[in-house]
Amino acid sequence: MTEKSKIRRTKIKKNEVTNSMKSSSRCRALKDIRSNWDIYLMLIPGLLFLLIFKYAPMYGVTIAFQDFNIFQGISGSEWVGLANFRKLIESEEFYRVFFNTLIISLYKIIINFPLPIVIALLLNEIACMPYKKTVQTIIYMPHFLSWIIVGGIFTTILSPSSGLVNQLITALGGESISFMMSNDWFRAILVISAAWKEVGWGAIIYIAAIAGIEQEIYEAASIDGAGKIRKMISITLPGLSSTIILMLILRLGSVLEAGTEQILTMYNSVVYETGDVIGTYVYRMGLGKMEYSFSTAVGLFNSVVGFILITLGNFTSRKLLGKSIW
Amino acid sequence: MKFKATFEDICVSVVSYLFMGILALSALIPFINIIAKATSEEWAVVSGKVTLWPIGFSLDALKYVVTSSQFLNAFSVSVFVTVAGTFLALLMTAMAAYPLSKKNLWGIKGIIVIYIFTMMFNGGLVPNYLLIRSLKLNNTLWALILPGLINVHNMLIIKNYYESLPDSIEESARIDGASNITILFKIVVPLSVPVFATIALFIAVALWNDYFGPLLYINSPNLKTLQLYLRDIVTNVADDTLQNADDAMNLPTEGVRSATIIASTVPILCVYPFLQKHFVKGILIGSVKG
Repeated sequence: MTEKSKIRRTKIKKNEVTNSMKSSSRCRALKDIRSNWDIYLMLIPGLLFLLIFKYAPMYGVTIAFQDFNIFQGISGSEWVGLANFRKLIESEEFYRVFFNTLIISLYKIIINFPLPIVIALLLNEIACMPYKKTVQTIIYMPHFLSWIIVGGIFTTILSPSSGLVNQLITALGGESISFMMSNDWFRAILVISAAWKEVGWGAIIYIAAIAGIEQEIYEAASIDGAGKIRKMISITLPGLSSTIILMLILRLGSVLEAGTEQILTMYNSVVYETGDVIGTYVYRMGLGKMEYSFSTAVGLFNSVVGFILITLGNFTSRKLLGKSIW
Repeated sequence: MKFKATFEDICVSVVSYLFMGILALSALIPFINIIAKATSEEWAVVSGKVTLWPIGFSLDALKYVVTSSQFLNAFSVSVFVTVAGTFLALLMTAMAAYPLSKKNLWGIKGIIVIYIFTMMFNGGLVPNYLLIRSLKLNNTLWALILPGLINVHNMLIIKNYYESLPDSIEESARIDGASNITILFKIVVPLSVPVFATIALFIAVALWNDYFGPLLYINSPNLKTLQLYLRDIVTNVADDTLQNADDAMNLPTEGVRSATIIASTVPILCVYPFLQKHFVKGILIGSVKG
């Protein structure tokens, strides 16, 4: 049977009344599996992978409701109900970490979200192609470096004794600042280093969206006497708006991810007060102090809130723009 | 039709050229500074004199790093994990994506949902860690490769690519009596080489740059990846005023640190032209589904 007639059959079937659906779909299941058993066979490795490495850890979150003992395993450990969550709500440290996560994330959104849009708009104004290509090549590059390397570069240029930034400050008559050890500066350093790494790269999606805007609109506007700023505001930005809204919704969906990997490479005990976030807290409590159950509870809180935000974000963008990530 | 540039237009151009130039410079300057430090003589680095140009040019620090057995060992572990991991992950991802591109078949849509759910919800750090421990994978390089075999986002990109291949080719092959397997290997795979290349690069960069995995699962010194080795060196700096005098003696010098950063960036820079080209393509085909 050809693929085409099969598709036609499915389409007809969709139009059939609902009560005959059940038997026909069982019939179709058998037929599909029999004639395409090799395709169904290819599902097995992927499903095994999902079962072991994705769904087994989801079952593992049950230790958040236990007093987990690593020698007794999940089946042997004592159930304690919501005790770990009660501990979480009462722990001052958790509120600090939660607040840090939100504030760092919001700073990153407020400052690092608009920058790629500005970059795309300005790149669009550059007519000299070699200059444009060179700039693009340079500003995309930091995206490919690991957080360890970015952390290393920033600790080097911010070093109080021999770093580039402090050389500049002392040359201008200021006093050298120990940036990485300062609670006043640490969040700013996180935002700036994240910008350094990702802002250029983030512009790509907007550059592509600008390239999709029809040139005739710009020509018509020029004939009507519009200048570059007018065209930017009245043509380019509206042309980008759906992309911007989509990216913002997605970004807001991951507001609880303040940059765990980044902070883990850059922070130290002096700046826990301002720089410790949920991800790093779970890492320290869980693997450092071996408080498996409590840190799983914190992680579960994080996952559940993240799940709700992502689902809401995706729902909103589908309703608003008819677009979604999936 | 040409228009005469107004004052406003010239201003916009000047601002654009200047701003983008400054941006590109600020992306470059930290690199130049690190290169200068890695190639200066030690006394100049310590006294804080080096800015953008090496003082008393010397390649000793770089030579020391690339001949150090720890660095070479970490480097080769990283190369192994990246090469083996990319091969296995691409194989798994490409294979898992194929049945999912046959949406007309019974049950496939449900399985796509099972995959997508894992993008939205995960067990979290500790359950994952305990899983690897109970599988006895900790302190093996498998712990770095196996959990990342299928990245659902990458898989969806490949699936969408399969779906975009014209149906007519497959139909005509089927009329000629080709089986599913023949169609897969003789038609779909050869046509999908470009997307495979892009995804292979995605996977390779992620594996090369991964340090959270090694940090969680690798303790033994001779299995340390390059990123983990770098972390030892870099985090020592972050804490340097906290260290006591004894530790301070054993700290890598700043020149050596800079040289290590440079030596581990070079492999990425060597393949950067390919990366740029394919990543841009990948981000545009995969980011948004209409």
